[in-house]
Amino acid sequence: MPTGAETNRILQAILDAAVDGVVLIGHTGLIEAFNRAAQSLFGFSAEEVVGKNVRVLMTEGDAAAHDEHMARYLRTGTAHIIGRGRQVIARRKDGRDFPVFLSVGVVPGAQPPRFLGFLHDLTAERQADERNQRLQERLTHVSRLATLGEIAAGIAHEVNQPLAAITNYAQACVRLLVAPDADIEEIREALREIAGQAVRAGDIVHRLRGIARAPDPQRRPLSINSLLMELNELLQGQARRAEVSCTVDLGSDLPLVLVDGSQIQQVVLNLVRNALEALAGPYRTPKQILISTYLDGDHDVALEVCDSAEGISAGTVERLFEPFFTTKEAGTGLGLAMSRTIIESHGGRLDYRPHAPQGSCFTLRLPTL
Amino acid sequence: MATTMKERAPAVYIVDDDDAVRSSLRLLLKSVGLNATAQGSAQEFLSSYDPQQPGCLVLDVRMPGMSGLELQQQLNLRGAVIPVIFITGHGDVPMAVEAMQHGAFDFLQKPFRDQDLIERIQKALERDRTSRAQLRERSLIRERRESLTPREREVLDLVTSGKPNKVMAADLGVSQRTVEIHRARVMEKMGASSLAQLVRMVLDLQSEGG
Repeated sequence: MPTGAETNRILQAILDAAVDGVVLIGHTGLIEAFNRAAQSLFGFSAEEVVGKNVRVLMTEGDAAAHDEHMARYLRTGTAHIIGRGRQVIARRKDGRDFPVFLSVGVVPGAQPPRFLGFLHDLTAERQADERNQRLQERLTHVSRLATLGEIAAGIAHEVNQPLAAITNYAQACVRLLVAPDADIEEIREALREIAGQAVRAGDIVHRLRGIARAPDPQRRPLSINSLLMELNELLQGQARRAEVSCTVDLGSDLPLVLVDGSQIQQVVLNLVRNALEALAGPYRTPKQILISTYLDGDHDVALEVCDSAEGISAGTVERLFEPFFTTKEAGTGLGLAMSRTIIESHGGRLDYRPHAPQGSCFTLRLPTL
Repeated sequence: MATTMKERAPAVYIVDDDDAVRSSLRLLLKSVGLNATAQGSAQEFLSSYDPQQPGCLVLDVRMPGMSGLELQQQLNLRGAVIPVIFITGHGDVPMAVEAMQHGAFDFLQKPFRDQDLIERIQKALERDRTSRAQLRERSLIRERRESLTPREREVLDLVTSGKPNKVMAADLGVSQRTVEIHRARVMEKMGASSLAQLVRMVLDLQSEGG
């Protein structure tokens, strides 16, 4: 049997060997023991804090609340933190705050009670989290810009069509008016066409503004069909240029979804762009994309983009949504990863399945309101 | 037959899948008195195309189904002479370059000034007239050559390869006088007024592979 002094030395050795900070306090909050890890975490020596109230290790807000939690526990036995542990902000001797995970235990049988606090430094984890978040934000931005660049090229082409028609009609009118026996009805018809084509160009530009507006954290109840139809002219234009037939099949009476419309549109553009790239090979016929919306079960609205390309090989399927994984020469490997992130942040899912008889289907599901 | 072709008024064909672009082009060409026919797809154009009809083709590069470039290749395969003016949208320069390499007459980027298009169309129609006249000329020469007797044909080949009458007479085993008679008949049948012209005709047929 070890003697009392021996037990104390063993206990001290255990405490000092611990990687996490360990603080023993009495029922009034006075610090009774402060292990080596705690000393290096807080910058206090044991001598400096033993006998002082544990509040010296806390921020003002926590310090005020701490006395209350202790008093309530002593009075009612209701634990605020004991047995659960939570993330708190601790304060160093030099005044700097840092995040810790605090778990608290009660020394069994001690009367009045004594408490043991274990402090796990979260600074490194927190920094990693922040780095990840910054990276995510940057990726979202990069991906958005890449898509925007492509959208801009597409829009330029689409706007050019009505502009060309307007130019032709106007120049024809100028010439027709010169003739002594000018046919006024023909000229009137041409002027009407000019107005109609100007509206068409305006609609396209309007749609671009909708897509390019700043990310709106405010999600609104929107119809997935309306979001898709806003993109339709753009998608059809892209498909037409790629000599792909693109069919849209809208489900009827779909419930609304709570979404950031431009983010969802970005995902759809991304999926269609992937499909077009998959269909870009030379002699494959027929080149088809089918976009459909439907109610999936009772709780999800689904939007599906299917193509008639070669599909995706088994080895690739597993890594499909992995960031920076790509099979394309000029790919960033971010498109699908970002798309999935966006859909999941809306509480939904983005999945792949093979398309019969050949090709790929990507299905995004969003919870209905 | 040659004269009826000459009399046909040239037609301008427009092939563009965009309704507005197509009908505005037709109106523009009509406003300058050109006879324009508009079609919405390459297939539509091909199924009604008459190679005997002089004219030119104003063609959109990008179309669903058969693209403008593919239509051009189809026409090339059929040996069509119709000049093609390509209309390209934004950023289609590489396609335009390819079209030019395959013998396109010219290309224009949308939107364009009416004067630019009309000038190009007029030049294209001029080219079509010239090449059709050339074709008629060639087929005429070929017909005339077919009308020569075997002996006259021999004389034609020898004359145009530069052989003097004396050498020809020896080669053919006839008198120099006989050669001279054959030679006069060849000149007359071929419609050549000089040896130089006769040589040009033969070279022209040879260059065409005929």
